[in-house]
Amino acid sequence: MQARKILALTVGKLIFKITTILKIGGGSAAPGLYALKIYPDLVSDLASQIPQTIVITGTNGKTTTARMLAHFATSSGLKVIRNSTGSNLERGIASALISCSHLPTGGLKNFDLAIWELDEAAFNQIVPKLKPQIIICLNIFRDQLDRYGEVDSIVKKWCQTLKNMPPNTTLFLNGDDHKLLSLKKCFKGPVFTFGVENYKIRGEEHFKKVGQEKLDLEALNVTLLGLDGVKFELKESDGLWDFLLPLPGIYHIYDFLAAYVAASKLGIEKKVIIQALKSFSPAFGRVEKFTLPPPGWRHKNEGGYILLIKNPTGATQVFETLKGELKPEDRLLIALNDNLADGTDVSWIWDADFELLQNSPRAGSRDFLIFASGTRASDLALRLKYAGFKPEAILVENNLKKALQQATEGLKGRLFILPTYTAMLGIQKILVQQGLKKHYWKED
Amino acid sequence: MKLTIGYLYGDCMNIYGDRGNIIALQKRAQWRGIGVEVKNISLKDKLKAGEVDLFFFGGGQDQAQALVAKDLEESGKGKIIKEEIERGVPLLSICGGYQLLGEYYKPHDGPKLPGVNLFPVYTVASYDRMIGNIIVKLTDQLIVGFENHSGKTYLKEGGQPLGKVIKGFGNNGEDHTEGCIYKNAVGCYMHGSLLPKNPQFTDWFIQKVLDIKYGKKIKLSPLDDDLEIKAYQTAISRFG
Repeated sequence: MQARKILALTVGKLIFKITTILKIGGGSAAPGLYALKIYPDLVSDLASQIPQTIVITGTNGKTTTARMLAHFATSSGLKVIRNSTGSNLERGIASALISCSHLPTGGLKNFDLAIWELDEAAFNQIVPKLKPQIIICLNIFRDQLDRYGEVDSIVKKWCQTLKNMPPNTTLFLNGDDHKLLSLKKCFKGPVFTFGVENYKIRGEEHFKKVGQEKLDLEALNVTLLGLDGVKFELKESDGLWDFLLPLPGIYHIYDFLAAYVAASKLGIEKKVIIQALKSFSPAFGRVEKFTLPPPGWRHKNEGGYILLIKNPTGATQVFETLKGELKPEDRLLIALNDNLADGTDVSWIWDADFELLQNSPRAGSRDFLIFASGTRASDLALRLKYAGFKPEAILVENNLKKALQQATEGLKGRLFILPTYTAMLGIQKILVQQGLKKHYWKED
Repeated sequence: MKLTIGYLYGDCMNIYGDRGNIIALQKRAQWRGIGVEVKNISLKDKLKAGEVDLFFFGGGQDQAQALVAKDLEESGKGKIIKEEIERGVPLLSICGGYQLLGEYYKPHDGPKLPGVNLFPVYTVASYDRMIGNIIVKLTDQLIVGFENHSGKTYLKEGGQPLGKVIKGFGNNGEDHTEGCIYKNAVGCYMHGSLLPKNPQFTDWFIQKVLDIKYGKKIKLSPLDDDLEIKAYQTAISRFG
């Protein structure tokens, strides 16, 4: 077995080197994929060396939560390993373990904490191998159902997985997602719920709370500060604490709360967390700001933002955030791809409220341009037309690079880029080529 | 002119963008100066004959489907819908909605869920998941959508399919039929959303509503369908 393990690690490390040298990605999946073929027990073998393991699953917010939690942990002096590029299948975890391990033993001795974000379906196979001390379930929405089956059946499978977990694990649940609350009874260990005052999530919408059960921790007195972020309070046993989260929208409060409760469980102090929040930058493509375009352009603009959209709930939340923000001189570039990682079914765009963008109060009278791009640009253009945009204001360009160029030409305000997952990777690549951004795997 | 759309169980039966069909019907009527009201008709609600000019019934998850099957029978809505269809009221049902309007749905475990008996079809749960883009040939046009179902639907003798499967699975992945049409009622497996990308099919429903409601031929004014046609053609060429 030892020989297989060494071979697997050697092959993995080699692939990692090759992909990095050839710049064909950061080696976030391929090393693990091939190493696992040689040594299938690689993940449980290597991961067991790390004293604390936290896993995060859910439809939306995994990457942001993991990134925030890692930021809190490193700020308090812990050494963290994680699958930082959103590669959340077993091969992604294997790749991270391989790249940090030492040959020939596969040693990972200097790490204090592992934070793994897990794909909703892969969760069930990987959790038993990782034996985590903390499990976080963020939410469950319709996302790429063509791959996973129905929402109800995902929750059922999670329930089965949790039933087999030892009671010394702690389960943190988003208590505002009523589908997740049913998981309480599946687990024999301690369960802790968090949420936002006066909100609950049902299906694909936020509803005002009516007779909701008491949650263990709630964000109180929420104030939205536009794109700059959101302010709220947490009532703890030692008093009321103020938090300023540099990410916009109610939905990011849930990501924060998940990171916060897990960090608290690890013994990280509130003061450290509050301080760390000031220097937190969002995950790639999640409300990311960048400068645009390079110097020498005729008009001065106010830069660009990338906000990932990938399912009805997430997209609607992004539209909610932008709704009050859009000014007449701003532009939108929306890119819809239908590759496997995006979901080959693009029908979800009809469940997302694109109407919110059109009803944006400040954008009402502008000479408004909206660029539709990606492999399914024409489906998107149609959705925009039926959301109320004038057909002549919708510009269709499948090619991302060309669309980006058109969208920045003559831009005076801000450019909001709303891509699906693989379109986001494409945009990142283009921005890197143009020297406007670093490679995502070099971030952090 | 005014048209009232009865959105059947929209709160529990809406999956894979079925809501887009309501949006398409609404907009294409409004762009022609026809007023539109969408009436949500769900669990425990009453339905009166004549209050709806066109029905829409989307797909749902298994749990919701069982509740809805029970409600169709207990609230008497199933019977009224059937009578309305007999007098020519148009209806579009997709996936779960289509299955519940047939004779029965037989799940993997548990007893048969009785249907409304509107379409002469029955559905049996299978272990094959039929997923992907689908193209169907009707008598005078091709329509395109996205299917995702494990139920296999079979037409009974005399049952008329909506069309022939050109690409995809359709009713059962075996006999190349897709959907069922009875009078002006259509059942099918096409999500996508179906109607926005198939404007001529959307207009067929609106035309039928006007024929039935006003009892005379009213010509629909043409619309600028540039984006619709582009999306339709892209889909056909991508999947065909």
